[in-house]
Amino acid sequence: MKEQRLNSSWVNSLLMLPALVLLAIVFAWPLLDSAWLSTQASSVLTGLTPLANGGANWQRLLGDARFWQDAAVTLRFAGVSVALELVLGLAMALLLHQPSRGRGWLRALTLLPWALPTTVLALGWRWIYNDPYGPLNAILRACGAAPFGFLTTPASTWLFTVLADVWKTTPFVALLLLAGLQSIPAELEESLVLEGASPGQILRRLTLPLLKPWISLALLFRLAQALGVFDLVQVLTRGGPAGSTESLALYAYLNAMRFLDFGYSATLVIATFLLLVLLTALGWLLLRRRALEPSR
Amino acid sequence: MAGSGARRRLTPGSVLAGLLLGLALILVPAALLARPVAAATTVRVLMPSPFVDATAALVAGFNRDHPKLKVEVARGPLDTEAMSDLAIGGLLLGDSGYDLLLMDVSWTAKYVAAGWLLPLEGLLGDDALEAMVPGARVGNAFGGHLWRMPLTGDTGLLYWRTDLMAAPPRSTQELEAVARRLQAEGKVRWGYVWQGRQYEGLSCVMLEMIHAFGGQWWQAGSGRAGGHTELDSPGAIAAADWLLHLVRTGVSPEAVADFAENEALQLFAAGDAAFLRNWPYAWREIEKGGGPVVGKVGVSTVVSAAGISSGGTLGTWGLSLLAGSPHPQAAAEVIRWFTGPETQKALVLDQGYAPTWAALYADPELQQKHPLLAVQRQALEQGPLVRPLTPLYAQLSDLLQRQVNGLITSEGSAAAAMGRAQTQSAVLLESAAGQEHP
Amino acid sequence: MKGLLLLWSLAPLAWQLYTSLVTPEALVSGSVGTSGSFWTLENYRQVWLADPPIWRYLLNSAVVGAATTALTLTLAVPCAYGLQRQGGRLRWLVTLALLATAIFPTVLLFLALLQLARALGLANNLLALSLPYTALCLPLAVLLLRAAFADLPPDLEDAARLEGMNLPRRLRHVLLPLLAPSLASTAILVFLFSWNEYPIALTWISRPELLTLPPAIARIAGSSLFTVPYGAFAAATVLGSLPLLLLVLIFQRSIVSGLTQGAIKG
Repeated sequence: MKEQRLNSSWVNSLLMLPALVLLAIVFAWPLLDSAWLSTQASSVLTGLTPLANGGANWQRLLGDARFWQDAAVTLRFAGVSVALELVLGLAMALLLHQPSRGRGWLRALTLLPWALPTTVLALGWRWIYNDPYGPLNAILRACGAAPFGFLTTPASTWLFTVLADVWKTTPFVALLLLAGLQSIPAELEESLVLEGASPGQILRRLTLPLLKPWISLALLFRLAQALGVFDLVQVLTRGGPAGSTESLALYAYLNAMRFLDFGYSATLVIATFLLLVLLTALGWLLLRRRALEPSR
Repeated sequence: MAGSGARRRLTPGSVLAGLLLGLALILVPAALLARPVAAATTVRVLMPSPFVDATAALVAGFNRDHPKLKVEVARGPLDTEAMSDLAIGGLLLGDSGYDLLLMDVSWTAKYVAAGWLLPLEGLLGDDALEAMVPGARVGNAFGGHLWRMPLTGDTGLLYWRTDLMAAPPRSTQELEAVARRLQAEGKVRWGYVWQGRQYEGLSCVMLEMIHAFGGQWWQAGSGRAGGHTELDSPGAIAAADWLLHLVRTGVSPEAVADFAENEALQLFAAGDAAFLRNWPYAWREIEKGGGPVVGKVGVSTVVSAAGISSGGTLGTWGLSLLAGSPHPQAAAEVIRWFTGPETQKALVLDQGYAPTWAALYADPELQQKHPLLAVQRQALEQGPLVRPLTPLYAQLSDLLQRQVNGLITSEGSAAAAMGRAQTQSAVLLESAAGQEHP
Repeated sequence: MKGLLLLWSLAPLAWQLYTSLVTPEALVSGSVGTSGSFWTLENYRQVWLADPPIWRYLLNSAVVGAATTALTLTLAVPCAYGLQRQGGRLRWLVTLALLATAIFPTVLLFLALLQLARALGLANNLLALSLPYTALCLPLAVLLLRAAFADLPPDLEDAARLEGMNLPRRLRHVLLPLLAPSLASTAILVFLFSWNEYPIALTWISRPELLTLPPAIARIAGSSLFTVPYGAFAAATVLGSLPLLLLVLIFQRSIVSGLTQGAIKG
């Protein structure tokens, strides 16, 4: 596209400045501040005053079994829920893309779980999983089965927390992929149909390759968000039982707000951030390489 | 797509006008609602929701009698941990907005270390606690200062069914045997229900059990953390092992792993269990509930292993003065009234709260109206157990809960779980020791 | 298939609605209990008259939402315009920064923002809360609006300039009228975000009467003192969802087209 020199670069920068300053204050400064705080002892024992303690917080982090367990929980949570969301989101997007009467309403209603507050929905899920009065147990009872404690054992609690997250965020993935579907020219699909391709072949040969940028976008976005999962676990399980659903963000929050250990909380925040950068960068590189392949 | 959007025919003028109108509609009433009316001297108290309801009439009476001093009670959440989060949130922001805070006994050391409390001995006198039952005095004064005046004298208690046995068990072995027999006879579905969820209640249970098996959680010592833990001692392991054993052999339901006070109370009140571990409030809840066990419930002190004498966990609530209160004198006066014998007597009669003043335990009127008092006095005199008195208690408690809850919900041995709890506690205390010298 | 999709999306919500409308006995046993009725509005009465009442939280959320929306649009429109008109490396850098901040999980900011609130005295102030919210919404808003600016005919602004209109007038009289649909969908998305935000609200607001809906609901969830107060919980969740439900249903076309269009152009 040809550059339009309507305004000087100076004017353009000035127009962007207020927004960028606010972004710097709310995003960049906190990261720098937390990075600095992670080298300080600032806890209830220091009277909440920061005192430089070198790498003591980081040393503690490396030896902290709970950190590693939470990191594993968080990674597993992000991996499994994002994978499920992509698969279900694609199916949902294909369904929503089909022309039909009332498609707008269908899209809006499907979008609802994503649009409502996570804490509200987490409270709802807690009731749905309730043992023995929740609806899932009512269904089990009607089938003659014994009531099941969905949120009682570590394994099942983790699983049903993932399910609640998938339910809540799949519509968002579907929406992004729907955008991708809308960008695919209908003529391409028609020509494939004329060639006698089956729906499965169309999906594989046309839709998926062209959707790749959108899948990457959805993957990056959801991966970053899932690595910072907080609202859902804080309300649904509070990290229990036995820490099986405690995310890194929840651990960082507990350290600050309940244990009053800000130095360590900052260390956990930065560690989570580094993990996030590492994984998204890795994902990005992988996706870019994969995206280049078919064009060769 | 552009066509679909344009059909809506929104002009920026109308969008902006709509936004501004909406903003005005919302902001104006909000601004009107936000300003409280100032009184002569207003002492603001933050309390958990149940205490607000329990004291509403008394506070109204106080405000009638004191035209120059007004008590304004703010309603906190129901749950203890949520209450703690709310209070800490305000204090961290440097804008708590309250003079007094009703605190759980286990928070005190942390709040003191954070510098959030003002010492009370100068305002209430060095002998402020003198006339209280010995057990109710602990946990309020340390480091040479008085930090808190207890409003209630709660300890952990054992609830038992008078229709199923003649006398309460006196040891853990006896409790288990009776429970098993009653279960075998089909009299009750479950033997013993307690608090096994990963939360503070499990720490209270564990403290009682560790001491009941001859161990101790905390050994006071030197350093800023104030001591060290002994969670891998034989007593502590035996305690965890007994709880695990109760669940594995079906004396306690597997669901105790998700029980807080009320889930356990609900099951006992429905007549489904022979024994319940709970606080004094449960008595009134059961009586009020009108369920199948009303009039068939006895209360006794908690049991320990044969040959060991131990007590219940101290779980008192008390008022503390927050640093930054603009009028500490007035606030201290409110503390004196709020925790004083007259208010406590009314709370015993109306709410069934356990008092802290020795004189109230000797009051014949109260003794007659509230049968729990005799047991409660015994529990307080027997030497109730105080949770580790260290600013790091919240962390220590959290990691113990996690291990014990993990023990009863997953595979593994008590020794391994308690070993991990001990190691993690040691790591925590060690990293704290590094913070001692700047 | 579509029925299945609707069932998956709506059944959990429908269950909340049902729970909020029946008596506790009906909820537990599925039949009319001793109270003699199955349906009830008692749960709604309870949360409406609670202390603080639920409408207070709704009002607080609405205040923050309105302020955030207004502030975000005020900052995002010039930024998006400048970004679209800007060329070269600066444009690439800013776009990258916006993308990075757009996917950033906000919970990682809570600790430093807490200190910021304390240092600047911004705690327990609903309008101050809209400052971080605005920052959190800006990346998405700027990206969406920039895509909309890119969509406008390129000669349009040039023609206006030749007619002697200066930049503010060009924006107000020529460009923004054409952007109205995008502005509306951006506004709705910002409002949605602000209504749902939890970790920052949790740390910036400590007075019960100033809580926004998500922390208030989470605090209800933290309580375990009543036996099975799920009817009241459900009534609270239904009331908390209702404004958003209406918003999504009324503006469904804007939301879907706004997000998809932004994604295509971004």
